[in-house]
Amino acid sequence: MSPFKLIFSMLCLTAIACNDSPTELPYLGNKVIENGKEIYHTVGQFNHYNQDSVLMTNKDFAEYIYVADFFFTSCPSICPKVAKEMLRIHDALKDDPQVKVVSFTIDPIRDTPQRLKLYGDNLGIDHKKWIFLTGDKDATLDLAATYFVAALEDADAPGGFDHSGKIVLIDKQGHVRSFSEGTDPSTTPKLIEDIKKLSASYTHPK
Amino acid sequence: MIILGFSFMLACNESPYMQGKRLYVANCQNCHMEDGSGLAKLVPSLQESALLGSPVIACIIKNGIQDTIRNDQTFLVKEMPAFGKLSATEITNITNYINHSWYKNFKETNITEIESALKNCP
Repeated sequence: MSPFKLIFSMLCLTAIACNDSPTELPYLGNKVIENGKEIYHTVGQFNHYNQDSVLMTNKDFAEYIYVADFFFTSCPSICPKVAKEMLRIHDALKDDPQVKVVSFTIDPIRDTPQRLKLYGDNLGIDHKKWIFLTGDKDATLDLAATYFVAALEDADAPGGFDHSGKIVLIDKQGHVRSFSEGTDPSTTPKLIEDIKKLSASYTHPK
Repeated sequence: MIILGFSFMLACNESPYMQGKRLYVANCQNCHMEDGSGLAKLVPSLQESALLGSPVIACIIKNGIQDTIRNDQTFLVKEMPAFGKLSATEITNITNYINHSWYKNFKETNITEIESALKNCP
């Protein structure tokens, strides 16, 4: 059993065990020691351009919680399925200004900001809410690992990249708090619930 | 009687074009989705497609579409990968599966029609 499946089944158990009490979402990943302090796993730093060619970094998301996926627009395999679930999340959370949706392209050579903008237009999304980010390819592939998403270049894979379709929930501090399988629509409602729960924890802190 | 009823129900749920269905699942479903609904304006829906029943569909499967010019209000990016490795037989099977699933005026296409359509692709 993979660690993800294990974590996910543990999450499910917790959800079943205490479905009435609004328990705090877990922090996923291993803790690290930094300056003698133990901190939760944090996603990597990025310097990427959005669909309007504006440079964005982690700091631009410090006031938001967001879901992230890794994809590319010419992806002939799982991407449209994952995009459909990202769109469901985008639509479900459209009235919560605290929530953003982020898609990193792992194919920056083809996926220019202009192309990402067209892709978003075709999806009919709110470009302020759903941010597409393109940047250095190797940096993005390394970044994916810190989101617990497998992404690597593979000439034999459809479209030239092999990657997993996980959709990952990140809190304001950059910690990974939940995820769904973008290729399995039945896992999306749970993630939407978790997003609402996390958002509420900032709006109504205990 | 009950068994007969069951087998009838099963027969109704199964497409008669199982080979076409398998090819659809392997080649088309990732983008056009299981129910053919596509994805917003990114992937056209097959359910209402004006191309259903047209021999042009064979050419699109074989050669794909490359048109990224923003000149069409309905589709901003028209792009579909080519499935050049598919044989005329396989394209016939897919065409029949798609048309049978979503085309109201369904009529079976045979390989001769597909072969001649492929010869006259633009």
